[in-house]
Amino acid sequence: MDYTQITDAQHEEMLSIIGIDHVDRLFDVIPESIRCQEGLDLSPPQSELELQRSLTEMASHNVGAHNMVCFMGCGAYDHFYPALIDQLISRGEFLTSYTPYQAEASQGTLQAFFEFQTQIAQVTGLEIANSSLYDGATAVAEAAILAVNTTRRHTVLVASTMHPEYLAVLRTCLADLHVNITMLTATNGKVLPETVREEMSDDIAAVIVQSPNIWGQIEDWDGCFEVTHEDAKTLAVAVFNPIACGLLKTPGECGADLAAGEGQPLGNALNFGGPYLGLLAAKEKFVRKMPGRLVGMTKDEDGRRVFCLTLQTREQHIRGAKATSNVCTNQGLIALRASMFMTTVGREGLTEVASHCWHKAHYLAEQITAIDGWELTFDGDFFNEFTVNCPVDVTHIVDSGKERGVLVGVAANGRRMRKLSEGNELIIAVTEKRTRHEMDALVSLLKELST
Amino acid sequence: MTNHPSRGDRPVEPLVFEKHVAGAYGVDFPPLDVPETPVPHRVAGSGVPLPSIGQHDVMAHYTHLSDRNFSVDGNFYPLGSCTMKHNPRINEWAASLPGFSCLHPLQDEDCIQGALRLLYETRTMLEEISGLHEVSLQPAAGAHGEFTALKVIRAFFTDHGQPQRTVVLAPDTAHGTNPASCTMCGASVKQVRTIDGHTDLEHLQEVIAEVGPENVAAFMITNPSTAGLFDPSIKEMAEIVHGAGAKVYLDGANMNALLGRVKPGDFGADAMHYNTHKTFSTPHGGGGPGSGPIAVTEELAPYLPVPQVMMADDGSFYLDRDREKSIGKVRSFFGQFGVLVRCWTYISACGPEGLRHVAETAVLNANYLAVRLQEVYDMPYFAPEKGAFCAHEFVSVPQTLLDKGVTLIDIAKRMIDYGVHPPTMHWPIHDCLMVEPTETESKHALDQFVDVMLQIANEIDQEIACVKNAPLVSDIARADEVGAARKPVLVWND
Ligand SMILES: Cc1ncc(COP(=O)(O)O)c(C=O)c1O
Repeated sequence: MDYTQITDAQHEEMLSIIGIDHVDRLFDVIPESIRCQEGLDLSPPQSELELQRSLTEMASHNVGAHNMVCFMGCGAYDHFYPALIDQLISRGEFLTSYTPYQAEASQGTLQAFFEFQTQIAQVTGLEIANSSLYDGATAVAEAAILAVNTTRRHTVLVASTMHPEYLAVLRTCLADLHVNITMLTATNGKVLPETVREEMSDDIAAVIVQSPNIWGQIEDWDGCFEVTHEDAKTLAVAVFNPIACGLLKTPGECGADLAAGEGQPLGNALNFGGPYLGLLAAKEKFVRKMPGRLVGMTKDEDGRRVFCLTLQTREQHIRGAKATSNVCTNQGLIALRASMFMTTVGREGLTEVASHCWHKAHYLAEQITAIDGWELTFDGDFFNEFTVNCPVDVTHIVDSGKERGVLVGVAANGRRMRKLSEGNELIIAVTEKRTRHEMDALVSLLKELST
Repeated sequence: MTNHPSRGDRPVEPLVFEKHVAGAYGVDFPPLDVPETPVPHRVAGSGVPLPSIGQHDVMAHYTHLSDRNFSVDGNFYPLGSCTMKHNPRINEWAASLPGFSCLHPLQDEDCIQGALRLLYETRTMLEEISGLHEVSLQPAAGAHGEFTALKVIRAFFTDHGQPQRTVVLAPDTAHGTNPASCTMCGASVKQVRTIDGHTDLEHLQEVIAEVGPENVAAFMITNPSTAGLFDPSIKEMAEIVHGAGAKVYLDGANMNALLGRVKPGDFGADAMHYNTHKTFSTPHGGGGPGSGPIAVTEELAPYLPVPQVMMADDGSFYLDRDREKSIGKVRSFFGQFGVLVRCWTYISACGPEGLRHVAETAVLNANYLAVRLQEVYDMPYFAPEKGAFCAHEFVSVPQTLLDKGVTLIDIAKRMIDYGVHPPTMHWPIHDCLMVEPTETESKHALDQFVDVMLQIANEIDQEIACVKNAPLVSDIARADEVGAARKPVLVWND
């Protein structure tokens, strides 16, 4: 079914009103030599019933967090979200609308994005936020570009403990812009403020530190950003997890100028990596350099409070080559999901989710390290994710877990993600969804595998 | 809570922050089932000031907001270049299957064969439709596809000893993302003149000569053009560009008019992006998410981003992360997977004949509307008597109406009163309406749209005030956008 609705009789009637005898006349201007001579080589159409069958069949060849116990994290987390989100987000008025360029026909989307921007500012402790970017990785790249354009400097210092995929995207994005990336080496799984100081020079546009970092360690944003600001021009960029903000110090509390992060944990399914949600918050003084869409509050002609897209002169459709970014289509609906999530869990709810993650992760870490031969790789603070050295081959552990219906974590040896280490570490994430029972079962499994 | 006056009887929906009730909550959590571990002072934050409201209020809030939106579901939405076609719900159903939506992106390949197969099949379907060698599903949207493909082209030239090729040419009617993407790749843009919506071939040659053929990386072209016209000289254009040793980039935003009729690879495109949220019916979601897969020729393929989804000899699927010449990663994980599930579903529903019929009907509907409106709404490029048809969309510069004392904005805002979303305005040429009905509208809906447009023209003659003051019946009067930009208020403050 191709979803067209013109019947054969209507087709003929329309042709005669247009004044042609065949629809091909409308394509006559296309030179014969470039027209398709044969039909597309694609499978025949499937009816909806057949599609339901074939999709169910394809989906059944996957196992995941729906039928396994998931302790995997590293940038994508198996959090709970209320059932009402899927229901509300399916409303066609949200789902099938376009970018709200026409304020009078889009107050719903506009107000929702304004609320989202405010909530992200509240969560990060910063003054403003945009209405979304593609994902956490591209948000970090956009933050770096903002810093480069604002400072007119050409080096960014990046914590080597940042998510390797974010680093890879950052490298791609900066490669042709004459910007150098200098890595900040880690000491015991974290970047020391002294290390930042050693690398500072008069060409540093930004210092970028993710916390919790790829190992799950909570970085010393306070210390690192204090050193950053010894140079008045350099921007401190915090790469954050919005759930952690419910419990830990926020980017704003630690002196960040910009906060970039992945919004997936806020009410979004794992979705095999996308669509996700790029978050970018900033101090107000950077507003005219922000990439992406911004919704502002204004009045209509009768003086009523209304909302509209604003500062569009930053954007590609007005500014072309001089725009702050090329982003056009963003992640609007995922931003709306995140906003619904934050609204539903509310102030205490976010803290509760974050606390549960904290307590459960610490419980599990304690239980695992009580097994002979298992130890934490780093002794610093962690939030919902931690790294352990395995006494037996980590590959064996991951495989055995799968057989028992457990996704035990992410191996740091490059099996599924860019190689983080030559060692035998396993990165384990715990969300509020994991029960004590599931954790105890994991501990027994690991015990069994290490003897 | 502030009470703002509203038109009609409907109160303005308060912000969630204004609905905050200390102690309220919209969902609860199970009791903690493990012992607590104290949070040390050195890391503890002071909490975030999010609003809290009860569950029914959550439902009411978002239901009220949704009520204040035009949408494809509820309105004629003829936004030119945006292809606001019907969004089939089987697509949503598919993407929400737990076997797709609950997959962690770092799971082992043996756990996710179904997902990889879906990606692989999407890849090959998009290769076939493009007539190009290889597709990457990584880019998150059209603009991201432009960026990615330009990077690929630059990497190709650098690898072939021509790193100086950093100039990209684009018509003066190019979409804003084209030049903006060039900037993000460190390339500079040179504009090529258009005449009546078509690229001026002579000027193209002049510009190439001016910047030096050896410095040109690519020519970015949209076909059908951004003015909604098939370009009859697209092949000559490609020959000129190839003659300079440069690559042709097709902005595939208008692929809806080409499906099954023309393959970009056959007219000389070396690289292109799709917008699945336009051509392949994935919803726009109030701004996103979309996805922007790119297709490239064989010589450009080694530079595509990683990872790439592959089929092994034994028929199993895997992700290739080791491509020596790849530009690297452009996004975390594998792109907008959930959107690609919808794309697969749509293409599989249509099949090859269906896709061709989509293009045919999209073009038929646009020409039908144009014919019916052309006497009242001036159309600079549309002259069916001379065989000058439009493709899937048409441009009107309603000068005759504007001369009677209304602005384009007046007309657009009056359309809102009639429940029609205004078309794209002010682009690709100044002061125009660009109308794209898409193939999924019924004849009845098309005729109703004609009636509305003719009615507005009538009003301009007879009661111009209702056009000049529009919208009259929507929830709000015209928004002060100038004021919003002068003193931006981007977050709510008590
Ligand atoms: C002609 C054209 N090119 C490029 C784009 C950018 O695509 P996207 O919004 O998916 O990034 C658009 C969409 O608005 C477009 O109409």
